[in-house]
Amino acid sequence: MAPGAPVNRDVSLVGRQALEGPYVLLTFRHPEVAERARAGQFVMIKANTISEPILRRPFSVMTEAPGEGTFTLFVKVVGPGSRGLADLREGETAGCLGPLGRPFPLPPAGHEALLVAGGYGIAPFVLFGEELGRARRRARLFYGGRTVADLQVREPFAALDIPLACATDDGSFGHHGRVTEAVAAHLDMRPGPVTLYACGPDAMLHAVARLAEERGVPAQVSLDPWMGCGVGTCLGCVVRLRRAGEARPKYHCACTEGPVFDARDVVWP
Amino acid sequence: MKLAVELGGLRLKNPLIAASGTFGYGVEYESILDLSILGGLVSKGLYLEPRDGCAVPRIVETPSGLLNAIGLQGVGIRAFVRDVLPRLARYDTAVIVNVCGDTVEEYSEVARIAETPGVAALEINISCPNVKKGGMAFGGDPRMTHEVVAAVRKATRLPVIPKLSPNVADVTLFARVCEEAGADALSCINTLLGLSIDVERRVPRLAFGTGGLSGPAIRPIAVRMAWQAARAVRIPVIGVGGIAGTEDALEFLVAGCRAVQVGTANFVDPGVYARILDGLEAYLRRHQLESIDDVVGTLRYPADAPEGPGT
Repeated sequence: MAPGAPVNRDVSLVGRQALEGPYVLLTFRHPEVAERARAGQFVMIKANTISEPILRRPFSVMTEAPGEGTFTLFVKVVGPGSRGLADLREGETAGCLGPLGRPFPLPPAGHEALLVAGGYGIAPFVLFGEELGRARRRARLFYGGRTVADLQVREPFAALDIPLACATDDGSFGHHGRVTEAVAAHLDMRPGPVTLYACGPDAMLHAVARLAEERGVPAQVSLDPWMGCGVGTCLGCVVRLRRAGEARPKYHCACTEGPVFDARDVVWP
Repeated sequence: MKLAVELGGLRLKNPLIAASGTFGYGVEYESILDLSILGGLVSKGLYLEPRDGCAVPRIVETPSGLLNAIGLQGVGIRAFVRDVLPRLARYDTAVIVNVCGDTVEEYSEVARIAETPGVAALEINISCPNVKKGGMAFGGDPRMTHEVVAAVRKATRLPVIPKLSPNVADVTLFARVCEEAGADALSCINTLLGLSIDVERRVPRLAFGTGGLSGPAIRPIAVRMAWQAARAVRIPVIGVGGIAGTEDALEFLVAGCRAVQVGTANFVDPGVYARILDGLEAYLRRHQLESIDDVVGTLRYPADAPEGPGT
Protein backbone atom coordinates (compact mmCIF):
# COMPACT_ATOMS: atom_id res chain seq x y z
CA MET A 1 0.00 0.00 0.00
CA ALA A 2 1.38 3.40 -0.96
CA PRO A 3 2.20 5.89 1.80
CA GLY A 4 -0.59 8.42 2.21
CA ALA A 5 -3.07 5.95 0.74
CA PRO A 6 -6.53 5.65 2.26
CA VAL A 7 -6.96 2.91 4.83
CA ASN A 8 -10.12 0.85 5.32
CA ARG A 9 -10.82 -0.20 8.88
CA ASP A 10 -13.45 -0.54 11.57
CA VAL A 11 -13.22 2.49 13.83
CA SER A 12 -14.39 2.72 17.45
CA LEU A 13 -16.29 5.71 18.68
CA VAL A 14 -14.16 7.17 21.46
CA GLY A 15 -16.00 10.42 22.10
CA ARG A 16 -19.28 12.14 21.41
CA GLN A 17 -20.47 15.63 22.21
CA ALA A 18 -24.08 16.49 21.49
CA LEU A 19 -24.55 20.04 20.27
CA GLU A 20 -27.79 21.94 19.82
CA GLY A 21 -30.53 20.53 17.61
CA PRO A 22 -29.50 17.91 15.05
CA TYR A 23 -25.75 18.46 15.47
CA VAL A 24 -23.19 16.21 17.16
CA LEU A 25 -19.40 15.90 17.29
CA LEU A 26 -18.15 12.31 16.95
CA THR A 27 -14.56 11.23 17.60
CA PHE A 28 -13.23 7.96 16.18
CA ARG A 29 -9.94 6.10 16.44
CA HIS A 30 -8.25 5.78 13.00
CA PRO A 31 -4.50 6.41 13.20
CA GLU A 32 -3.97 6.95 9.47
CA VAL A 33 -6.77 9.49 9.12
CA ALA A 34 -5.56 11.21 12.30
CA GLU A 35 -2.03 11.32 10.92
CA ARG A 36 -2.61 12.22 7.28
CA ALA A 37 -5.96 13.83 6.61
CA ARG A 38 -5.69 17.34 5.23
CA ALA A 39 -8.35 20.02 5.29
CA GLY A 40 -11.06 19.33 2.73
CA GLN A 41 -10.43 15.58 2.71
CA PHE A 42 -13.14 13.21 3.84
CA VAL A 43 -13.89 9.71 5.03
CA MET A 44 -16.58 7.28 3.82
CA ILE A 45 -18.21 5.98 6.97
CA LYS A 46 -21.22 3.98 8.13
CA ALA A 47 -22.22 2.75 11.56
CA ASN A 48 -21.83 -1.02 11.86
CA THR A 49 -24.97 -1.04 14.00
CA ILE A 50 -27.24 -0.39 10.99
CA SER A 51 -27.81 -2.30 7.76
CA GLU A 52 -29.79 0.39 5.94
CA PRO A 53 -28.87 2.41 4.02
CA ILE A 54 -26.28 0.09 2.54
CA LEU A 55 -23.77 2.69 1.39
CA ARG A 56 -21.32 4.60 3.56
CA ARG A 57 -21.60 8.39 3.64
CA PRO A 58 -18.90 11.02 3.04
CA PHE A 59 -17.98 13.37 5.91
CA SER A 60 -15.26 16.02 6.00
CA VAL A 61 -12.65 15.55 8.68
CA MET A 62 -13.13 18.45 11.12
CA THR A 63 -10.20 17.96 13.48
CA GLU A 64 -7.54 15.36 14.08
CA ALA A 65 -5.36 14.38 17.03
CA PRO A 66 -2.39 12.44 15.62
CA GLY A 67 -1.02 11.80 19.11
CA GLU A 68 -4.21 10.00 20.15
CA GLY A 69 -4.81 8.49 16.70
CA THR A 70 -8.27 10.03 16.55
CA PHE A 71 -10.25 12.33 14.31
CA THR A 72 -13.53 14.18 14.79
CA LEU A 73 -16.53 14.61 12.49
CA PHE A 74 -19.18 17.29 12.70
CA VAL A 75 -22.42 15.50 11.90
CA LYS A 76 -25.85 16.94 11.22
CA VAL A 77 -28.53 14.27 11.44
CA VAL A 78 -30.43 14.51 8.17
CA GLY A 79 -31.30 10.87 7.38
CA PRO A 80 -30.75 7.25 8.40
CA GLY A 81 -27.01 7.21 7.58
CA SER A 82 -26.15 10.21 9.77
CA ARG A 83 -28.69 9.00 12.36
CA GLY A 84 -26.84 5.68 12.59
CA LEU A 85 -23.58 7.49 13.31
CA ALA A 86 -25.15 9.88 15.81
CA ASP A 87 -26.72 6.97 17.71
CA LEU A 88 -23.41 5.13 18.17
CA ARG A 89 -22.34 4.62 21.77
CA GLU A 90 -18.74 4.73 22.87
CA GLY A 91 -16.98 1.51 21.92
CA GLU A 92 -19.36 0.73 19.06
CA THR A 93 -17.81 0.73 15.61
CA ALA A 94 -18.25 2.09 12.11
CA GLY A 95 -16.72 0.97 8.81
CA CYS A 96 -14.47 3.78 7.65
CA LEU A 97 -12.27 4.43 4.62
CA GLY A 98 -10.01 7.47 4.48
CA PRO A 99 -8.51 9.93 4.08
CA LEU A 100 -9.97 10.55 0.61
CA GLY A 101 -10.11 13.32 -1.95
CA ARG A 102 -8.31 16.49 -2.95
CA PRO A 103 -7.70 18.87 -0.03
CA PHE A 104 -7.90 22.67 -0.04
CA PRO A 105 -4.74 24.09 -1.60
CA LEU A 106 -3.05 26.86 0.41
CA PRO A 107 -3.53 30.38 -0.96
CA PRO A 108 -0.62 32.05 -2.79
CA ALA A 109 1.83 33.88 -0.53
CA GLY A 110 0.44 37.27 0.50
CA HIS A 111 -3.18 36.22 -0.07
CA GLU A 112 -5.73 36.34 2.70
CA ALA A 113 -7.94 33.23 2.78
CA LEU A 114 -11.64 34.11 2.91
CA LEU A 115 -13.46 31.03 4.19
CA VAL A 116 -17.18 30.86 3.36
CA ALA A 117 -19.18 28.22 5.22
CA GLY A 118 -22.87 27.37 5.01
CA GLY A 119 -24.34 25.25 7.81
CA TYR A 120 -22.48 21.95 8.25
CA GLY A 121 -20.10 23.16 5.53
CA ILE A 122 -18.12 24.60 8.44
CA ALA A 123 -16.53 21.19 9.11
CA PRO A 124 -13.38 21.30 6.92
CA PHE A 125 -12.53 24.88 7.89
CA VAL A 126 -11.43 24.02 11.42
CA LEU A 127 -8.61 21.86 10.07
CA PHE A 128 -7.96 24.40 7.30
CA GLY A 129 -7.74 27.21 9.85
CA GLU A 130 -5.02 25.24 11.64
CA GLU A 131 -3.15 24.61 8.37
CA LEU A 132 -3.37 28.29 7.41
CA GLY A 133 -2.04 29.26 10.84
CA ARG A 134 0.93 26.91 10.48
CA ALA A 135 1.61 28.31 7.00
CA ARG A 136 1.37 31.87 8.40
CA ARG A 137 -1.46 32.88 6.09
CA ARG A 138 -4.13 35.31 7.24
CA ALA A 139 -7.69 34.03 7.23
CA ARG A 140 -11.20 35.32 7.82
CA LEU A 141 -14.36 33.25 8.17
CA PHE A 142 -17.87 34.02 6.89
CA TYR A 143 -20.36 31.62 8.43
CA GLY A 144 -23.99 31.44 7.36
CA GLY A 145 -27.06 29.44 8.31
CA ARG A 146 -30.82 29.60 8.40
CA THR A 147 -30.79 30.54 12.08
CA VAL A 148 -28.31 30.95 14.93
CA ALA A 149 -28.69 27.28 15.93
CA ASP A 150 -27.06 26.35 12.60
CA LEU A 151 -23.87 28.19 13.60
CA GLN A 152 -22.62 25.57 16.07
CA VAL A 153 -18.88 25.66 15.44
CA ARG A 154 -17.60 29.14 16.30
CA GLU A 155 -15.22 28.67 19.23
CA PRO A 156 -12.33 26.98 17.37
CA PHE A 157 -11.92 30.05 15.18
CA ALA A 158 -11.57 32.40 18.15
CA ALA A 159 -8.77 30.14 19.38
CA LEU A 160 -7.17 30.33 15.93
CA ASP A 161 -7.45 34.16 15.87
CA ILE A 162 -9.55 33.97 12.72
CA PRO A 163 -12.05 36.87 12.55
CA LEU A 164 -15.59 35.60 12.17
CA ALA A 165 -18.55 37.26 10.43
CA CYS A 166 -21.86 35.45 10.75
CA ALA A 167 -25.05 35.69 8.70
CA THR A 168 -28.46 34.17 9.26
CA ASP A 169 -31.49 34.03 6.98
CA ASP A 170 -33.79 34.95 9.87
CA GLY A 171 -31.55 37.66 11.34
CA SER A 172 -31.19 35.82 14.66
CA PHE A 173 -27.42 36.31 14.63
CA GLY A 174 -24.99 38.47 12.66
CA HIS A 175 -25.86 39.86 9.23
CA HIS A 176 -29.54 39.43 8.34
CA GLY A 177 -29.33 37.77 4.95
CA ARG A 178 -27.03 35.63 2.84
CA VAL A 179 -23.50 34.90 3.91
CA THR A 180 -22.32 35.79 0.41
CA GLU A 181 -23.65 39.34 0.95
CA ALA A 182 -21.25 39.64 3.89
CA VAL A 183 -18.41 38.37 1.69
CA ALA A 184 -19.31 40.87 -1.05
CA ALA A 185 -19.35 43.70 1.51
CA HIS A 186 -15.87 42.69 2.63
CA LEU A 187 -14.60 42.62 -0.97
CA ASP A 188 -16.13 46.11 -1.46
CA MET A 189 -13.57 47.38 1.07
CA ARG A 190 -10.74 46.32 -1.28
CA PRO A 191 -8.95 44.12 1.25
CA GLY A 192 -5.90 43.32 -0.91
CA PRO A 193 -5.27 39.96 -2.59
CA VAL A 194 -7.64 37.22 -1.40
CA THR A 195 -8.53 33.62 -2.26
CA LEU A 196 -12.06 32.40 -1.57
CA TYR A 197 -12.75 28.95 -0.12
CA ALA A 198 -16.33 27.72 0.14
CA CYS A 199 -18.12 24.71 1.58
CA GLY A 200 -21.89 24.51 1.99
CA PRO A 201 -25.11 24.14 -0.01
CA ASP A 202 -24.88 24.16 -3.82
CA ALA A 203 -26.71 27.50 -4.12
CA MET A 204 -24.15 29.13 -1.80
CA LEU A 205 -21.23 27.57 -3.71
CA HIS A 206 -22.65 28.83 -6.98
CA ALA A 207 -23.09 32.32 -5.48
CA VAL A 208 -19.47 32.28 -4.29
CA ALA A 209 -18.31 31.20 -7.75
CA ARG A 210 -20.26 34.08 -9.35
CA LEU A 211 -18.88 36.55 -6.83
CA ALA A 212 -15.33 35.32 -7.45
CA GLU A 213 -15.79 35.71 -11.18
CA GLU A 214 -17.28 39.22 -10.88
CA ARG A 215 -14.47 40.39 -8.63
CA GLY A 216 -11.70 38.53 -10.44
CA VAL A 217 -10.53 36.57 -7.40
CA PRO A 218 -9.64 32.88 -7.27
CA ALA A 219 -12.03 30.52 -5.50
CA GLN A 220 -11.93 26.89 -4.38
CA VAL A 221 -15.29 25.22 -3.76
CA SER A 222 -15.93 21.94 -1.95
CA LEU A 223 -18.78 20.14 -3.72
CA ASP A 224 -21.05 17.64 -2.03
CA PRO A 225 -22.77 15.52 -4.67
CA TRP A 226 -24.31 12.11 -3.94
CA MET A 227 -21.38 9.79 -3.45
CA GLY A 228 -21.39 5.98 -3.62
CA CYS A 229 -17.88 4.61 -3.16
CA GLY A 230 -15.44 7.48 -2.50
CA VAL A 231 -12.71 6.00 -4.70
CA GLY A 232 -13.78 6.73 -8.27
CA THR A 233 -15.39 3.44 -9.27
CA CYS A 234 -19.16 3.92 -9.00
CA LEU A 235 -19.05 7.10 -11.11
CA GLY A 236 -22.13 8.32 -9.25
CA CYS A 237 -20.69 11.58 -7.88
CA VAL A 238 -19.50 13.05 -11.15
CA VAL A 239 -19.57 16.82 -11.72
CA ARG A 240 -19.26 18.64 -15.03
CA LEU A 241 -16.02 20.54 -15.36
CA ARG A 242 -14.75 22.60 -18.24
CA ARG A 243 -11.04 23.00 -17.73
CA ALA A 244 -8.94 25.61 -19.51
CA GLY A 245 -8.07 24.43 -23.02
CA GLU A 246 -10.83 21.79 -23.17
CA ALA A 247 -13.33 22.11 -25.98
CA ARG A 248 -16.30 20.78 -24.02
CA PRO A 249 -17.24 19.95 -20.45
CA LYS A 250 -16.53 16.46 -19.14
CA TYR A 251 -17.63 14.46 -16.12
CA HIS A 252 -15.12 14.14 -13.30
CA CYS A 253 -15.40 12.23 -10.05
CA ALA A 254 -15.91 14.53 -7.06
CA CYS A 255 -14.49 11.85 -4.77
CA THR A 256 -11.07 11.49 -6.40
CA GLU A 257 -10.54 14.71 -8.37
CA GLY A 258 -12.42 16.79 -5.78
CA PRO A 259 -14.36 17.36 -3.64
CA VAL A 260 -12.44 20.64 -3.76
CA PHE A 261 -12.42 22.19 -7.24
CA ASP A 262 -11.34 25.48 -8.77
CA ALA A 263 -14.65 27.35 -9.08
CA ARG A 264 -13.81 28.52 -12.62
CA ASP A 265 -13.81 24.92 -13.88
CA VAL A 266 -17.24 23.97 -12.55
CA VAL A 267 -20.17 23.93 -14.99
CA TRP A 268 -23.04 24.86 -12.64
CA PRO A 269 -26.35 23.12 -13.27
CA MET B 1 -7.88 -27.07 1.02
CA LYS B 2 -8.43 -25.91 -2.53
CA LEU B 3 -10.09 -22.60 -3.33
CA ALA B 4 -9.05 -22.68 -6.99
CA VAL B 5 -11.75 -23.13 -9.62
CA GLU B 6 -11.79 -23.69 -13.37
CA LEU B 7 -14.25 -21.89 -15.61
CA GLY B 8 -14.35 -23.00 -19.21
CA GLY B 9 -10.62 -22.63 -19.80
CA LEU B 10 -10.20 -19.85 -17.27
CA ARG B 11 -8.36 -20.89 -14.11
CA LEU B 12 -8.92 -18.79 -11.00
CA LYS B 13 -7.02 -19.08 -7.71
CA ASN B 14 -10.30 -18.61 -5.88
CA PRO B 15 -13.94 -18.14 -6.88
CA LEU B 16 -14.18 -14.42 -6.02
CA ILE B 17 -14.35 -11.98 -8.92
CA ALA B 18 -14.93 -8.23 -8.74
CA ALA B 19 -18.00 -7.42 -10.85
CA SER B 20 -17.97 -5.07 -13.80
CA GLY B 21 -18.95 -1.47 -13.08
CA THR B 22 -18.23 -1.77 -9.37
CA PHE B 23 -14.45 -2.00 -9.40
CA GLY B 24 -13.44 0.61 -11.97
CA TYR B 25 -10.46 -0.75 -13.89
CA GLY B 26 -9.01 -2.35 -10.75
CA VAL B 27 -6.26 0.20 -10.27
CA GLU B 28 -8.60 2.50 -8.32
CA TYR B 29 -8.43 -0.04 -5.48
CA GLU B 30 -4.72 -0.87 -5.64
CA SER B 31 -3.80 1.48 -2.80
CA ILE B 32 -6.61 0.14 -0.60
CA LEU B 33 -6.41 -3.63 -1.01
CA ASP B 34 -4.03 -6.20 -2.46
CA LEU B 35 -5.55 -7.03 -5.86
CA SER B 36 -3.70 -10.36 -5.83
CA ILE B 37 -6.17 -11.75 -3.29
CA LEU B 38 -8.89 -11.66 -5.98
CA GLY B 39 -9.63 -14.66 -8.14
CA GLY B 40 -10.29 -12.15 -10.89
CA LEU B 41 -11.65 -8.74 -11.71
CA VAL B 42 -13.92 -7.57 -14.50
CA SER B 43 -13.27 -4.13 -15.96
CA LYS B 44 -15.89 -1.43 -16.27
CA GLY B 45 -17.67 -1.85 -19.63
CA LEU B 46 -15.49 -0.83 -22.56
CA TYR B 47 -16.47 0.39 -25.99
CA LEU B 48 -14.16 1.27 -28.87
CA GLU B 49 -14.27 4.94 -27.91
CA PRO B 50 -14.49 6.82 -24.59
CA ARG B 51 -18.06 7.48 -23.37
CA ASP B 52 -19.46 10.33 -21.27
CA GLY B 53 -22.26 8.38 -19.61
CA CYS B 54 -25.57 9.65 -18.25
CA ALA B 55 -26.47 12.98 -16.67
CA VAL B 56 -26.70 13.23 -12.87
CA PRO B 57 -28.23 12.07 -10.57
CA ARG B 58 -26.87 8.66 -11.52
CA ILE B 59 -27.32 6.71 -8.31
CA VAL B 60 -30.06 6.52 -5.71
CA GLU B 61 -30.46 4.19 -2.77
CA THR B 62 -33.60 2.09 -2.37
CA PRO B 63 -34.38 -0.47 0.35
CA SER B 64 -31.39 -2.85 0.53
CA GLY B 65 -30.45 -1.76 -2.94
CA LEU B 66 -28.75 0.69 -5.22
CA LEU B 67 -30.44 1.94 -8.39
CA ASN B 68 -28.00 3.28 -10.95
CA ALA B 69 -27.92 4.72 -14.42
CA ILE B 70 -24.27 5.49 -15.09
CA GLY B 71 -24.54 4.84 -18.80
CA LEU B 72 -21.20 3.06 -19.24
CA GLN B 73 -18.97 6.12 -18.86
CA GLY B 74 -15.54 4.83 -19.73
CA VAL B 75 -12.12 5.36 -21.27
CA GLY B 76 -12.54 2.97 -24.22
CA ILE B 77 -10.71 -0.29 -24.91
CA ARG B 78 -7.55 1.26 -26.42
CA ALA B 79 -6.83 3.48 -23.42
CA PHE B 80 -7.50 0.50 -21.13
CA VAL B 81 -5.01 -1.70 -22.97
CA ARG B 82 -2.42 1.08 -23.21
CA ASP B 83 -2.68 2.71 -19.76
CA VAL B 84 -4.31 0.27 -17.36
CA LEU B 85 -3.24 -3.25 -18.33
CA PRO B 86 0.47 -2.65 -17.67
CA ARG B 87 -0.39 -1.53 -14.14
CA LEU B 88 -2.50 -4.64 -13.54
CA ALA B 89 0.28 -6.93 -14.74
CA ARG B 90 2.01 -6.81 -11.35
CA TYR B 91 -0.94 -8.51 -9.64
CA ASP B 92 -1.65 -12.23 -9.60
CA THR B 93 -5.29 -12.07 -10.61
CA ALA B 94 -7.29 -12.83 -13.76
CA VAL B 95 -8.19 -9.67 -15.67
CA ILE B 96 -11.49 -9.99 -17.54
CA VAL B 97 -12.53 -7.28 -19.98
CA ASN B 98 -16.20 -6.33 -20.13
CA VAL B 99 -16.92 -5.88 -23.85
CA CYS B 100 -19.61 -3.42 -24.99
CA GLY B 101 -20.88 -2.25 -28.35
CA ASP B 102 -23.60 -0.29 -30.09
CA THR B 103 -23.38 -2.79 -32.96
CA VAL B 104 -22.33 -6.42 -33.42
CA GLU B 105 -19.28 -5.17 -35.33
CA GLU B 106 -18.24 -2.98 -32.41
CA TYR B 107 -18.40 -5.91 -29.98
CA SER B 108 -16.14 -7.90 -32.32
CA GLU B 109 -13.69 -5.06 -32.75
CA VAL B 110 -13.44 -4.43 -28.98
CA ALA B 111 -12.93 -8.19 -28.48
CA ARG B 112 -10.11 -8.26 -31.04
CA ILE B 113 -8.31 -5.34 -29.36
CA ALA B 114 -8.84 -6.87 -25.93
CA GLU B 115 -7.11 -10.11 -26.92
CA THR B 116 -3.72 -9.09 -25.65
CA PRO B 117 -1.29 -10.43 -23.03
CA GLY B 118 -2.65 -9.73 -19.56
CA VAL B 119 -6.29 -10.30 -20.47
CA ALA B 120 -7.61 -13.68 -19.30
CA ALA B 121 -11.17 -13.64 -20.64
CA LEU B 122 -13.92 -11.47 -22.10
CA GLU B 123 -17.28 -10.81 -20.51
CA ILE B 124 -19.87 -9.72 -23.07
CA ASN B 125 -22.16 -6.99 -21.86
CA ILE B 126 -25.52 -7.76 -23.44
CA SER B 127 -27.46 -6.71 -20.40
CA CYS B 128 -26.76 -3.09 -19.40
CA PRO B 129 -30.16 -1.44 -18.90
CA ASN B 130 -28.78 2.12 -19.07
CA VAL B 131 -27.87 2.60 -22.72
CA LYS B 132 -30.17 3.25 -25.66
CA LYS B 133 -28.42 0.88 -28.07
CA GLY B 134 -26.67 -2.45 -27.44
CA GLY B 135 -26.76 -3.67 -23.84
CA MET B 136 -30.11 -5.04 -22.77
CA ALA B 137 -31.53 -4.47 -26.26
CA PHE B 138 -29.26 -7.34 -27.40
CA GLY B 139 -29.57 -9.46 -24.27
CA GLY B 140 -33.37 -9.36 -24.36
CA ASP B 141 -33.62 -10.85 -27.85
CA PRO B 142 -32.47 -14.47 -28.36
CA ARG B 143 -31.60 -13.90 -32.01
CA MET B 144 -29.46 -10.83 -31.26
CA THR B 145 -27.90 -12.59 -28.27
CA HIS B 146 -26.83 -15.43 -30.55
CA GLU B 147 -25.48 -13.04 -33.15
CA VAL B 148 -23.37 -11.02 -30.68
CA VAL B 149 -21.98 -14.04 -28.82
CA ALA B 150 -21.17 -15.90 -32.05
CA ALA B 151 -19.44 -12.80 -33.45
CA VAL B 152 -17.29 -12.34 -30.36
CA ARG B 153 -16.59 -16.09 -30.30
CA LYS B 154 -15.27 -15.76 -33.84
CA ALA B 155 -13.19 -12.69 -33.00
CA THR B 156 -11.21 -14.15 -30.10
CA ARG B 157 -9.55 -17.26 -28.70
CA LEU B 158 -10.05 -16.02 -25.14
CA PRO B 159 -12.80 -17.53 -22.99
CA VAL B 160 -16.08 -15.74 -23.78
CA ILE B 161 -18.51 -15.07 -20.93
CA PRO B 162 -21.85 -13.41 -21.82
CA LYS B 163 -23.45 -11.56 -18.90
CA LEU B 164 -27.13 -12.38 -18.91
CA SER B 165 -29.97 -9.95 -18.28
CA PRO B 166 -32.51 -10.78 -15.59
CA ASN B 167 -35.07 -8.67 -17.43
CA VAL B 168 -36.41 -11.63 -19.39
CA ALA B 169 -39.18 -14.15 -18.69
CA ASP B 170 -37.01 -17.26 -19.13
CA VAL B 171 -33.31 -16.93 -18.43
CA THR B 172 -32.66 -20.55 -19.44
CA LEU B 173 -33.58 -19.76 -23.04
CA PHE B 174 -30.82 -17.14 -23.15
CA ALA B 175 -28.37 -19.38 -21.31
CA ARG B 176 -28.87 -22.10 -23.92
CA VAL B 177 -28.61 -19.63 -26.81
CA CYS B 178 -25.27 -18.42 -25.45
CA GLU B 179 -24.00 -21.97 -25.05
CA GLU B 180 -24.98 -22.80 -28.63
CA ALA B 181 -23.26 -19.64 -29.87
CA GLY B 182 -19.99 -20.81 -28.36
CA ALA B 183 -19.85 -19.20 -24.93
CA ASP B 184 -17.39 -20.74 -22.46
CA ALA B 185 -19.20 -19.61 -19.32
CA LEU B 186 -22.04 -17.30 -18.24
CA SER B 187 -22.30 -14.42 -15.78
CA CYS B 188 -25.69 -14.42 -14.19
CA ILE B 189 -27.12 -11.75 -13.60
CA ASN B 190 -26.85 -8.07 -14.49
CA THR B 191 -29.02 -5.46 -12.71
CA LEU B 192 -32.80 -5.52 -12.67
CA LEU B 193 -34.60 -2.72 -14.45
CA GLY B 194 -36.11 -0.39 -11.87
CA LEU B 195 -37.74 3.01 -11.43
CA SER B 196 -37.70 5.24 -8.37
CA ILE B 197 -39.86 8.35 -8.24
CA ASP B 198 -39.56 11.66 -6.42
CA VAL B 199 -43.24 12.10 -5.59
CA GLU B 200 -42.95 15.77 -4.57
CA ARG B 201 -41.63 16.76 -7.99
CA ARG B 202 -43.23 13.77 -9.75
CA VAL B 203 -40.09 12.96 -11.72
CA PRO B 204 -37.77 9.94 -11.75
CA ARG B 205 -35.06 10.20 -9.10
CA LEU B 206 -32.46 9.27 -11.74
CA ALA B 207 -31.74 11.65 -14.62
CA PHE B 208 -31.88 8.75 -17.12
CA GLY B 209 -35.36 7.75 -15.86
CA THR B 210 -35.11 4.03 -15.22
CA GLY B 211 -32.01 2.38 -13.78
CA GLY B 212 -30.46 -0.94 -12.84
CA LEU B 213 -31.11 -2.30 -9.34
CA SER B 214 -28.28 -4.05 -7.50
CA GLY B 215 -27.41 -4.94 -3.93
CA PRO B 216 -28.86 -7.38 -1.39
CA ALA B 217 -32.39 -6.52 -2.57
CA ILE B 218 -31.89 -8.59 -5.75
CA ARG B 219 -30.01 -11.54 -4.26
CA PRO B 220 -32.88 -14.08 -4.12
CA ILE B 221 -33.78 -13.30 -7.72
CA ALA B 222 -30.15 -13.66 -8.78
CA VAL B 223 -29.73 -16.95 -6.92
CA ARG B 224 -32.89 -18.30 -8.53
CA MET B 225 -31.82 -17.26 -12.04
CA ALA B 226 -28.25 -18.51 -11.62
CA TRP B 227 -29.63 -21.81 -10.33
CA GLN B 228 -31.96 -22.11 -13.34
CA ALA B 229 -29.18 -21.22 -15.77
CA ALA B 230 -26.73 -23.65 -14.19
CA ARG B 231 -29.24 -26.49 -14.64
CA ALA B 232 -29.97 -25.53 -18.23
CA VAL B 233 -26.44 -25.57 -19.66
CA ARG B 234 -23.22 -27.57 -19.37
CA ILE B 235 -20.92 -24.53 -19.36
CA PRO B 236 -20.05 -23.03 -15.95
CA VAL B 237 -22.11 -20.22 -14.47
CA ILE B 238 -20.71 -17.30 -12.45
CA GLY B 239 -23.26 -16.08 -9.92
CA VAL B 240 -23.64 -12.35 -9.33
CA GLY B 241 -26.25 -10.26 -7.55
CA GLY B 242 -26.23 -8.81 -4.04
CA ILE B 243 -23.30 -10.73 -2.56
CA ALA B 244 -22.00 -8.95 0.54
CA GLY B 245 -20.73 -11.81 2.71
CA THR B 246 -19.65 -15.44 2.87
CA GLU B 247 -23.12 -16.91 3.16
CA ASP B 248 -24.30 -14.95 0.14
CA ALA B 249 -21.43 -16.30 -1.96
CA LEU B 250 -22.13 -19.82 -0.73
CA GLU B 251 -25.79 -19.57 -1.78
CA PHE B 252 -24.69 -19.15 -5.39
CA LEU B 253 -22.09 -21.93 -5.16
CA VAL B 254 -24.56 -24.37 -3.63
CA ALA B 255 -27.05 -23.36 -6.33
CA GLY B 256 -24.58 -24.54 -8.96
CA CYS B 257 -22.31 -21.58 -9.74
CA ARG B 258 -18.60 -22.34 -10.17
CA ALA B 259 -17.57 -18.82 -9.14
CA VAL B 260 -19.17 -15.59 -7.96
CA GLN B 261 -18.86 -11.87 -8.54
CA VAL B 262 -19.07 -9.24 -5.84
CA GLY B 263 -20.51 -5.93 -7.02
CA THR B 264 -22.26 -3.25 -5.01
CA ALA B 265 -20.57 -4.48 -1.80
CA ASN B 266 -17.28 -3.11 -3.20
CA PHE B 267 -18.70 0.39 -2.75
CA VAL B 268 -19.64 -0.35 0.85
CA ASP B 269 -16.52 -2.10 2.09
CA PRO B 270 -13.35 -2.84 0.10
CA GLY B 271 -12.53 -5.38 2.83
CA VAL B 272 -15.31 -7.65 1.57
CA TYR B 273 -12.98 -10.03 -0.35
CA ALA B 274 -10.69 -10.81 2.56
CA ARG B 275 -13.76 -11.41 4.71
CA ILE B 276 -15.44 -13.79 2.23
CA LEU B 277 -12.21 -15.71 1.53
CA ASP B 278 -11.71 -16.32 5.26
CA GLY B 279 -15.35 -17.33 5.50
CA LEU B 280 -15.13 -19.80 2.60
CA GLU B 281 -12.09 -21.49 4.13
CA ALA B 282 -13.85 -21.73 7.48
CA TYR B 283 -16.90 -23.21 5.76
CA LEU B 284 -14.86 -25.87 3.95
CA ARG B 285 -13.16 -26.78 7.24
CA ARG B 286 -16.42 -26.90 9.16
CA HIS B 287 -18.02 -29.16 6.54
CA GLN B 288 -14.82 -31.19 6.08
CA LEU B 289 -14.70 -30.49 2.35
CA GLU B 290 -11.57 -30.45 0.21
CA SER B 291 -12.41 -27.84 -2.36
CA ILE B 292 -14.91 -25.29 -3.64
CA ASP B 293 -15.93 -27.83 -6.27
CA ASP B 294 -17.29 -29.98 -3.45
CA VAL B 295 -19.79 -27.21 -2.68
CA VAL B 296 -20.83 -26.38 -6.25
CA GLY B 297 -24.30 -27.58 -7.17
CA THR B 298 -24.96 -29.43 -3.91
CA LEU B 299 -28.40 -27.90 -3.42
CA ARG B 300 -30.89 -30.47 -2.18
CA TYR B 301 -34.04 -29.10 -3.78
CA PRO B 302 -37.36 -30.73 -2.86
CA ALA B 303 -38.16 -33.26 -5.56
CA ASP B 304 -41.81 -32.30 -5.78
CA ALA B 305 -41.34 -28.52 -5.65
CA PRO B 306 -41.87 -26.25 -8.65
CA GLU B 307 -38.71 -25.27 -10.50
CA GLY B 308 -39.84 -22.35 -12.63
CA PRO B 309 -39.81 -21.85 -16.39
CA GLY B 310 -37.43 -23.74 -18.62
CA THR B 311 -36.13 -26.23 -16.07
